[in-house]
Amino acid sequence: MQGPIIGRRGAIAAGLGAAGAFAAGSPARAFERDGNRKIFVFAGGQPVPVLDPHVRYDWSTRLIQQSVYDALAKYVNDPPQIVPWLAERWESNPAQTVWTFHLVRNAKFHNGDPVDAEAVRYSFERGLRLNKGVAWMLKDVLAPEAIKAVDAHTVQFTLTRAMPSFITYVPLWFIVNPKQVQANVANNDYGEGWLTRNEAGSGPFKVRRFEPQSVIQLDAVADYWKGWPQGDQRRLSGFIYRIVREPAARRAMLQRGEVDMITEVPADDFELLKNARGIKPEDHKGFTTFAITMNTTKGPTADLNVRKAIAHAMDYDALIQIHNGAATLLDSPFPDAIPGHVAVPGIPRRNLEKAREFLAKSAHPNGGFELEYVHVQGLEDPRRIGLALLNSLQPLNIKVNIVAQPWPTMVARGSKAETAPDMVSVYVTPVCTDPDVIAGKYHTRAHGQFWGMHHLTDAQIDGWVDAARVETDEAKRNALYADVQKRVVDLQPEIFGMLANRRWLMRDYLRGFQYCPLRLTGEFDLYPMWVDAA
Amino acid sequence: MALFVLRRLMLTGLMLFGLVLITFVVSNVAPSDPAALAAGPDATRDMVETIRKEYGLDRPLPEQFVHYVGGLLTGDLGRSIVTTRSVMEDLGRYFPATLELVLLSMTFGVLVGVPLGMLSAVLKNRAPDHATRFVAVSLVALPAFWFGILLQLLFSVQLEWLPTSGRLDIATPPPPFVTGMLLVDSVLAGQWATFADALRHAVLPALVLSFPCLASILRVNRAEMIEVMAADYVTAARAHGISRLRVVCVLALRNAMLPTLAIIGLRWGWMLGSTVLVETVFDWPGIGLYAVSSAIAGDFKPVMGVTLLIGVNFMIINLIVDLLYGVLDPRLRATS
Repeated sequence: MQGPIIGRRGAIAAGLGAAGAFAAGSPARAFERDGNRKIFVFAGGQPVPVLDPHVRYDWSTRLIQQSVYDALAKYVNDPPQIVPWLAERWESNPAQTVWTFHLVRNAKFHNGDPVDAEAVRYSFERGLRLNKGVAWMLKDVLAPEAIKAVDAHTVQFTLTRAMPSFITYVPLWFIVNPKQVQANVANNDYGEGWLTRNEAGSGPFKVRRFEPQSVIQLDAVADYWKGWPQGDQRRLSGFIYRIVREPAARRAMLQRGEVDMITEVPADDFELLKNARGIKPEDHKGFTTFAITMNTTKGPTADLNVRKAIAHAMDYDALIQIHNGAATLLDSPFPDAIPGHVAVPGIPRRNLEKAREFLAKSAHPNGGFELEYVHVQGLEDPRRIGLALLNSLQPLNIKVNIVAQPWPTMVARGSKAETAPDMVSVYVTPVCTDPDVIAGKYHTRAHGQFWGMHHLTDAQIDGWVDAARVETDEAKRNALYADVQKRVVDLQPEIFGMLANRRWLMRDYLRGFQYCPLRLTGEFDLYPMWVDAA
Repeated sequence: MALFVLRRLMLTGLMLFGLVLITFVVSNVAPSDPAALAAGPDATRDMVETIRKEYGLDRPLPEQFVHYVGGLLTGDLGRSIVTTRSVMEDLGRYFPATLELVLLSMTFGVLVGVPLGMLSAVLKNRAPDHATRFVAVSLVALPAFWFGILLQLLFSVQLEWLPTSGRLDIATPPPPFVTGMLLVDSVLAGQWATFADALRHAVLPALVLSFPCLASILRVNRAEMIEVMAADYVTAARAHGISRLRVVCVLALRNAMLPTLAIIGLRWGWMLGSTVLVETVFDWPGIGLYAVSSAIAGDFKPVMGVTLLIGVNFMIINLIVDLLYGVLDPRLRATS
């Protein structure tokens, strides 16, 4: 490519112009403009390596996927509710094995193609056949052949067994345009290579710029089939996600007005900025459980009395203090926004007398041993919780060796009972409101996964979890989950910690933020938001 | 000369193979399961196996190594398990940003380090000499990560002179891709506002990256200049009435530049490695940031690709320095 030829005078003038622009400094305003409309600029620390909605999900990826794609239903509000979206209604047979969805008639993809039953069928089939990302949610109960487009606006799923929680997973399966995907298939990859960087959705935004490591820019779809809740006049023109890895840099950008909103804000920074001029906080009770899992198969923590002693020695107030008060202690292994949650009486709180009683009943009545506590390298809160644990266990004469390891190393160690650390800090965010996703943490099936680093094996829990999965009577199901929660507390495979608040800091002209605990950590719903500034 | 070059090239090839072997072994002995991490926390075992098979991670390690080396010979560095793209494609996307940063830093380091070294030598043991030595030691000792954040707070938050991170403001249109280096591409396209914006974004990361290099060049150049200035031929030149400026800037500097050249070669590789920290602080989308993101995700093909790229760069630059040495000093060619 050949650049323009620049004369000597032109070069001098251009140089002066460039110097002027350099000296002008950065723009003071946060939002960008597009005519009369605004572009909302957001900064978070996590890249979005892949756009394909059937291959990967995490908070940043889903933030973009949820904006670009639609699903049959959507999670909104706090407590979370499932509302119709591409499907205007649905029903199931009494056995809850056949689910029928009736689609809205006006939905269309970004290229103008209608969103019909075939697109829904193809999308679910694609997700199942790729066997990645979201596939785990339905693959055991739904065969690709069992999805039928009954007519252009009706799609039917026939499950291999009753699955009362089927609908709770449906909002996480986004619908892609089969025509666009099939036109870009290479080596029978179901268009995976193409959908990694391109989109084929029907959502309120479409992708304009995709630089996975640094910036993702979306344009609002002016004639979005569902309309805009804030009104067409106020809707955004677009959205920019800037990937800024350092919390200090994100904070600086918000202060400087380079971005409108940030997430993953350290507790101290949040306290510092939440009352700053022009900035407002969003601070909500979280849905992510924090626990210190204990290896139940080897070492001192294999002894239930040692685990009980540790759980009763833990300084739970410290967990709250570390989060500057923005956390709630767990009163059950389940977060309270999960259906079927019960507050378990007798869940351990700091009681040194009781702790000593349990230790006295163990094989180590006088302590005198050391336990390894592993947390993810670079995360400050789990490190400080480790220090609290160290202090808490000193009266029992138990030493704690705090070890920071990279996430891959920690997960690899925890996948086997023989190598799993004595104690590990674990955060778990349920992806949907199905209690099975959290009860399953304590099932034998969880061994090998990061939340199963306790390697607990209990036939009663396994039986109850399996029974609850297929129980269609809600009362009976909840009773089974209540049993699971009590039994888990009895067996104490973890120190049940807290739910840390989810927090965002934003400029005070941002409107329409709607919290839904079902979204993953820093994720939020972009669709209802707008900028209320001249 | 041809034999000299041939020997150097053979040695470079051998070192490259060693580098491939080491990076492969180190990546694979790390206790991590990339397939499980890529599959996500909720994935079932058979989903993990699907990914393992797709990326050839189910094969025995020696077979994986042979396959990897075979791929290297055809320019295939494997596929990232996270981005699902070819590592070569990713490197092509990210390396120009790193190269731009390193070239800027190196240019700054040389342009400031060499004159300061000369000044320090000429004014040996006087106040400017002590001051530059103090600054040099401080610059080497400053941790890039900490210093970068400090500069961000000062110049971006307090003074609001420079942007916090990234390569361009969101509203600035990027130039058409030619080299991938925004400064170069914006000049080629005549987009001067883009050039200015790209330069403003590059200032802080380039400074942080350049300081240790600048300090090394300064110290080496000072030491060499002091030695050369004491040589008989310099005294003779002064006695023949050649001006002090000409003696220092031409005669002495030319002879003092050989070790400085070696330092520049060494620092090039060091700088490429240091981009890992600097690019993370400033969110500069180069290979350093790519390597960090990949390592965190347990995605080792990109980490190996970046390591190899840095290694090859380092070797090439040192090969060039060696050859330049040979050109500048015939005695070296003779002994080789």
